[in-house]
Amino acid sequence: MKHDIRLPNLQPSRSNVEQGFEKVILRLVKGGPERMAIEAGQVDAVVDHASGNVILLPEAQRSLNARKVRLRKLFELSCDWSWEQDEHYRFVSHTDAGVENSGYWNEDFIGKAIWDLAIDNMSEADWQTHRQQLEWRATYRDLEVSCVDHAGKVHYLSFSGEPIFDDRDQFKGYRGITREITGRKKVEAMVLGPNRFARTTLDALTAHVGVLDANGVVLLVNEAWRDFAATYAGIGAGVTEGANYLQACDNAAGHERADGIALAAGIRQVIAGEREHFRYDHPCDTPSGRSWFMLSITGVAGDSAARAVVLRENITERKRGELLLELEHTVARVLADVDNATAALKAVIRAVCETQGWFCGRYFHLDPATGVLCFSESWGLATVAVEQFLEKSSGLIIRPGAGLKGRVFQSGQPLWILGGTRGTGVSSTALAPETDVDGAFVFPVTSEDKTIGVLAFSSHTVREPDDRMLQAVRSIGSQLGRFLQRQQGADALRRSDARFRKLVELSADWYWEQDSNYRFTQYVGSGVIGAGDVLGKTHWELPNVVLGDAKWAEHKSQLAARWSFCDFEFAATHPDGQLGYYCISGEPVYDEAGTFTGYCGTGLDITKRKVAEITLRESEARLRALTGPESD
Amino acid sequence: MRRKKTKHSASVPAVTTVVEMRLYIANSAPNSVRAIANLEAICKEHLKDNFRLEIIDVLEYPQRALTDGILVTPSLNKMSPLPAAKIVGNLSNTSSVLHALGIKE
Repeated sequence: MKHDIRLPNLQPSRSNVEQGFEKVILRLVKGGPERMAIEAGQVDAVVDHASGNVILLPEAQRSLNARKVRLRKLFELSCDWSWEQDEHYRFVSHTDAGVENSGYWNEDFIGKAIWDLAIDNMSEADWQTHRQQLEWRATYRDLEVSCVDHAGKVHYLSFSGEPIFDDRDQFKGYRGITREITGRKKVEAMVLGPNRFARTTLDALTAHVGVLDANGVVLLVNEAWRDFAATYAGIGAGVTEGANYLQACDNAAGHERADGIALAAGIRQVIAGEREHFRYDHPCDTPSGRSWFMLSITGVAGDSAARAVVLRENITERKRGELLLELEHTVARVLADVDNATAALKAVIRAVCETQGWFCGRYFHLDPATGVLCFSESWGLATVAVEQFLEKSSGLIIRPGAGLKGRVFQSGQPLWILGGTRGTGVSSTALAPETDVDGAFVFPVTSEDKTIGVLAFSSHTVREPDDRMLQAVRSIGSQLGRFLQRQQGADALRRSDARFRKLVELSADWYWEQDSNYRFTQYVGSGVIGAGDVLGKTHWELPNVVLGDAKWAEHKSQLAARWSFCDFEFAATHPDGQLGYYCISGEPVYDEAGTFTGYCGTGLDITKRKVAEITLRESEARLRALTGPESD
Repeated sequence: MRRKKTKHSASVPAVTTVVEMRLYIANSAPNSVRAIANLEAICKEHLKDNFRLEIIDVLEYPQRALTDGILVTPSLNKMSPLPAAKIVGNLSNTSSVLHALGIKE
């Protein structure tokens, strides 16, 4: 409980005061030390235990009064007028002079709440916030409002207030002060105008901009930088004005350590003036996946504290595009380098997984006989979980329309399930069997506009594909499809070629091919005995061939006419001096453009038949000689 | 005005005596202001961190003065260590204050 403080009346004469005061002192203060202290002028107040009052001594009272006057003067210096509001926040009193000097009338305020005044810079939301402050009985400072007075003059006023409570702690309203800040606002507008424009422009940039001093301390950042610092992890997280960006780079840990070191070194070079610019790209893992940022550090010349400007741009979209283009090139290169489907599939799946950060991928091909998709090839990270997952896929058969892969095959369109969507309402049957690994991306492998299989990738880092990604998977699916189809055609051709050779081997002793100048380029089989190395030679250049010039001339004219020839016979001297007999058949070869490229054909050793014929002819001759001319 | 000053530091050995005091003043009257300044200087020089001081403005809390038997302000009460002591005035006589607080010069 507070007690009244009784102040002695020191007027009208000194003697009366002294007499009255001495009486009071003598009555109240009986102790020696207290009286001595009073006599020494070292006491300010005496406590009257009988009444419970505190009596200020004249000197103390004068001092406190003087102090009160000083405080009032200071108060008047610090504000233009003071006011009080009732419990409904209505102005009930104010110091008139200040209000009138500001161009307002008494009735402009009294009985009105502040939001009832003609204030034009506060929205309903602003007033709501202010009213909330008042409801919480909070002290508020510098509520700046602007309004137009009766003379049409714009005023800026600053209100500060504190709640008033009575002795029983009941809220009675607010009291406070108002300062006219119109002049200050005008000066601010003049001085800060250009800076505000610069600041607004800086904040409008999507690039993150920060200014560093000589030690790497951040002097200034824009809104984009501040948002990044508040929301991203990794290098630069939490670094705003006052923090040391160089130190943040130096302290980068884990997989960002190398980036941090490189960045710090580059920034130090720029600050030291050893280079004008420094650029560096680095990835950053965010909750929505991996992002890439490009930092450009530019030196600042002049006398200011600023030494370097750091410009950080989010280049994730461009980087993803580059990676996808690189992936397309990798796939094209892989398909050009490998010569079998297995190697091609593994290499392509691996390239996609490594670029996208996916765990594994599988290829299912269409079995034309049964019309179902059959597991064909896979590649995955060397982890137990992935290996088990791939092992389970072996022998997997999927009907068109069944599951994600079946639907992709049927529609010919890519489908995906984002990582982390399990248990969020997605049908488990729709996910099966990708549910083993959360998140999947499946796209068709096509050839000549027909789906010949599907590539299914699994990873919980699968994200929503953008147009570039969909374009890339279409390209990869198409490249791979063409390769697989070509491989399939080549395999069929090889098998057909092998069958043909078998037949040739059965019907002929050798097989030969010539170029457009009739020189042998291939010579497979037993061939002409004793002919030696025949490649690069023509038939008529073989050393042991025995045939008249006229015959050769006739043969050459057939070749020049690009005729096919059959059973062209000739003899050749064997190393033992005996003659061997051969016949060859051939036909001209043309390329796809219709240009003659040479001849190909077969050869047959007919020595036995020829010798038999000769022997027979000789026998017949001998018989005719014995039997006389009638036998003719 | 009611202020408490606790300067007892954890770094001071437990055996060190902590002096507990109450200074009664009358707002910012001249002798009260002087008493605070004088006591601050004495504590800083002689007690280091080993004191606890409560400053009571009797104009604001007269009941405390009545309860504690205070007749005039400024008055300084030393509660511990015993014996208790009281000194009145603006504490400009350092020797008297040190004597009352049981501190040897």
